Amino acid sequence: MRVGVIGVGCSKFGRRDDVTIQELSYEAVKEALDDAGISRDDVDVSVVGSVNSRGYELMPAVLVNEYCGFTGKGPIRVEAACASGAAAVYTAFTSIASGVADVAIAIGVEKMTEVDTATSLAIGGRAGNYLWEFHQYGTTFPAYYAIHASAHMAKYGTTEEQLAKVAVKAHRNAAKNPKAHFQKEISVEDVLNSRYITYPLKLYDCSPISDGSSAAILASEEKIKEMGIDDVVWIESVGYASDTSNMTRRESFVGLKATVLAKEMAYRRAGIEDPVKEFDIATVHDCFTIAEIMAYEDLGFCRKGEGGRLIESGETDLGGKIPVNTFGGLKAKGHPLAATGVAMVYEIVKQLRGEAGELQVDLKNYKGLLHNVGGTGHFAYVMVLRR
Amino acid sequence: MFIESRELLMKHKIPVAKTEKYWKGLEEGKVYKTVCKNCGEEYYPPRAECLCGGEVEWAEIDGEGVVEAFTTVHRIPAGFEWHENPYTITIARFGNVRVMGWAENVKVGDKVRLKTGKDETGVWKVYFEVV
Repeated sequence: MRVGVIGVGCSKFGRRDDVTIQELSYEAVKEALDDAGISRDDVDVSVVGSVNSRGYELMPAVLVNEYCGFTGKGPIRVEAACASGAAAVYTAFTSIASGVADVAIAIGVEKMTEVDTATSLAIGGRAGNYLWEFHQYGTTFPAYYAIHASAHMAKYGTTEEQLAKVAVKAHRNAAKNPKAHFQKEISVEDVLNSRYITYPLKLYDCSPISDGSSAAILASEEKIKEMGIDDVVWIESVGYASDTSNMTRRESFVGLKATVLAKEMAYRRAGIEDPVKEFDIATVHDCFTIAEIMAYEDLGFCRKGEGGRLIESGETDLGGKIPVNTFGGLKAKGHPLAATGVAMVYEIVKQLRGEAGELQVDLKNYKGLLHNVGGTGHFAYVMVLRR
Repeated sequence: MFIESRELLMKHKIPVAKTEKYWKGLEEGKVYKTVCKNCGEEYYPPRAECLCGGEVEWAEIDGEGVVEAFTTVHRIPAGFEWHENPYTITIARFGNVRVMGWAENVKVGDKVRLKTGKDETGVWKVYFEVV
């Protein structure tokens, strides 16, 4: 059963002091329903992705579904750390592919700014293995990626300037995205002069702590025909993988094995051989600048160790061979954990439909790549979308 | 306008019965892994059950390790405010296992030795010393 995306929505990301988690969700849900041109009654099942470990509502899906009008249709909340959004899309996808549902909505939502930064860092640092890592060594989420950056720099000579260029690209794109957390361009010097959060990562190497929501409505091919919808972005394939909770159980720190495995599954299922040639747009998981460098390599845009040179080449900029994170990425658009993966679907759908305005990529193959990572490669999803 | 939530403090009692040898070992200056007598798989952090179903034995990690990755944490998380200065989390490889610990002035490729110690909050952990 083919599954297509028929509607997408995304809230303004950033510090959203004006809304609760359920009110924030409704912004994306409303937009997605309008975009699909369907009503709430047409939706069979609602899947809410939310990490919500900073939240005070312990069952966010219940509130979200009530506020969005899906009471009775929301039997599940999914969590896969920062990949909770892709996990929600995957759950919606499988509910349709299995024939159980005709129309499903995947909602990703996160309120992260309601607690202070030190608390937020302590929660993120527990995203791994609390007892064997955070408890003794005070790991933080930026620290886990910084560990990878140190290994990548030592092995391949990747520089802090190259990392900075990822942030500069992200901010340049986000400056033209009114829904992004940051709308300000920055320079390499701004990044290099910012303070260390956790060596070698500096403030501007890190995605911000953001609030945000996003939604995608999926439907079966049969239902899409029945509803008379003709502008569809199909989910061609989904790949997934996971890895150990303990960083000390990993095989290497210069890449994410879960990304490689998820990519192999997704590319094989969709028949992708040369990603740089075949994809018009890629959204990759750039929670930290090093994460984008590793993603280039792990997703096969370049050989292992050449990610730093790829960002320098400009080929991942708008107008390059494979534009990456055209809406600003997690780094500058913001990274409200579970909202991120569904917002990647939003970005790819907008791009493949030619609705991305100033940030529009050239469309040749009408194929987009989604790469959403949970934790530090603890979870990974790779999806191929095609219009 | 905001409403401040009621405070909720959680402190967990974490069972370590199956890995007690490890935690007691730290207090004696020893760092243990487990090794499966059947398939040879080595576990660090140690676990008392091998996935192959074989019996595991406890073995001390000793000798020189090699630093594979590290980071110096400047923005300190809640729970570690007592550590006023940045600390360096390091992962070093000792044979077939990798160990996390705190170290000073390390870089990737450095040779290190293990020691254990108790921090200011009474938590025992692994420290590395550059050889």
